[in-house]
Amino acid sequence: MGQLIKLEVLRVLRNRRYLFFTVVFPAMMYFFYSSSFKDQTFNGIPYKTYYMVSMATFGTVGAALNTAMRISLERKSGWTRQLRLTALPGWAYVLSKVVAAGVVTLPAVVVVFAMGAFGGVHFPISTWLGMGLAVWAGGFVFAAAGVALGYAAAPDTVQPITMVSYMGMAFLGGSWFPLSGGLKTVGQYTPVYLYNELAKYPVNGVSVGVSQIAGLAAYLAVFAALAAWLYQRDRKTV
Amino acid sequence: MTTSTEAIRGTDRKGSATRGANDRPTEVAAFRNVSKAFGSVKAVNGSSFTLHPGETVAFLGPNGAGKSTSIDMLLGLKDPSAGEVSLFGGSPRQAIMDGRVGVMLQSGGLLPEVTVRELVTFACKVHPRGYAVDDVLTTAQILDLADRKVDKLSGGQEQRVRFALATAGDSDLIVLDEPTTGMDVTARQAFWSVMKAQADAGRTILFATHYLEEADAIADRVLVMHKGRLIADGTAAEIKARAGQRRISFDLHPGDGGDASLLSALPGITALDVSGSTVRISTSDADATMAAVYRAGLYPRGLEVTGVGLEQAFITITAEAAGTEAN
Repeated sequence: MGQLIKLEVLRVLRNRRYLFFTVVFPAMMYFFYSSSFKDQTFNGIPYKTYYMVSMATFGTVGAALNTAMRISLERKSGWTRQLRLTALPGWAYVLSKVVAAGVVTLPAVVVVFAMGAFGGVHFPISTWLGMGLAVWAGGFVFAAAGVALGYAAAPDTVQPITMVSYMGMAFLGGSWFPLSGGLKTVGQYTPVYLYNELAKYPVNGVSVGVSQIAGLAAYLAVFAALAAWLYQRDRKTV
Repeated sequence: MTTSTEAIRGTDRKGSATRGANDRPTEVAAFRNVSKAFGSVKAVNGSSFTLHPGETVAFLGPNGAGKSTSIDMLLGLKDPSAGEVSLFGGSPRQAIMDGRVGVMLQSGGLLPEVTVRELVTFACKVHPRGYAVDDVLTTAQILDLADRKVDKLSGGQEQRVRFALATAGDSDLIVLDEPTTGMDVTARQAFWSVMKAQADAGRTILFATHYLEEADAIADRVLVMHKGRLIADGTAAEIKARAGQRRISFDLHPGDGGDASLLSALPGITALDVSGSTVRISTSDADATMAAVYRAGLYPRGLEVTGVGLEQAFITITAEAAGTEAN
């Protein structure tokens, strides 16, 4: 089991495309946003802080959803089949994907947060850690979605679905700009919105976002159930 | 059909001597009346066979014969619709968990972005009785490729890596699904000599193949599948004999007398081909055919009588099976 996780982490860290989309791209976007909005605020929240959180979650969601493409490709190539012919239990594969996603999201969070800190975002150390933890833990909701998507279809179908849901969720989740009006009415129930809000808890003036945690837990339950069902279906058809 | 399969199976075979002794397991794998249906299509239809320790068995059949489905069921990747599959007396999954089975898949199954050594190390570590990585790399003759990325290998090199994955541990049974597909003749020969060493180490080997000459040269038992049915089970020699055919060829010179038009009426003849002075005959009774040739006053020159290859036997047997089905 440890062997498979080790192999998986090694692979994602070696994959430049993966690192670009999860670390470099969100960092660049953050640099762009923070230098164009400077010290402006929105509803009392500095844009610097707002985008620091939303770009960290953007990178995390990207890393987590990327799992879909990897699973789909490896199902097609027969690697999942090869694994079923080893002594490893069947769920080891899914676990290794989720753990690898959890590991590679860390650099995304650290890099964007570090840029925020250098750019003038100030929080007590405990708040930094709390926010980091919220971003990191929330990422597993999307890792579950990635697993479900990876087992749902073949790579050429999974690729566009992943991209559309990634961008769509980021848009409705307020990652690109703060939502208001009709967009907010719809957007506030989407997983990325809940995720962004949860990770921004210090600036929202609450100690912990209970309603966001509940909402994300519900999404996690749905995604995980879907993933489990699709995974079982896949094992019957291989 | 069943009767003729039984007739072949009745002959002596390596491993059968210990059968019936209950004190130790003599059964590596068993199919008991196994069927697999996909919708209304029966991919495998009531097939039964037993593999014994130390046997090298070829699984032969045209595309769509049910070989791959049978292998999938043998390995527990698919469940049979009816019948029972057992590996080492238990479920396929249990046998795999115990590290008793090494498998080489036909294609794919390799992980990109890692080196050959990393991938083989993984296979050795997860095998309950895994070997040292360097030994496995050496045996598979890929020590020189160890630091190459898996996605940067040629087809033949990939096959050797797959072979390394199948032999990463001390497995009792090695299953290979068309292992030499895409290899050139030299690579194929090298591959089988390595495989032979595995067989000599006492392992049971089951391989699916399209290459009849491989089955002929390497296997000490051949299972022939056709349209989901196991239509023959025996040594390559037995299967050839089952087809019962001999090929006769000779030249007839016009000046030698005799009436060549008599040829088609020869006893036992199943096929006749006359081109110029050369006559080629397939016959089910070579002795009677030749006696009749001489009685007809013909004077054959450069006479050759040969047994048919496994390929011809294979075609005969599958044609027979198709005929039985049509009736």
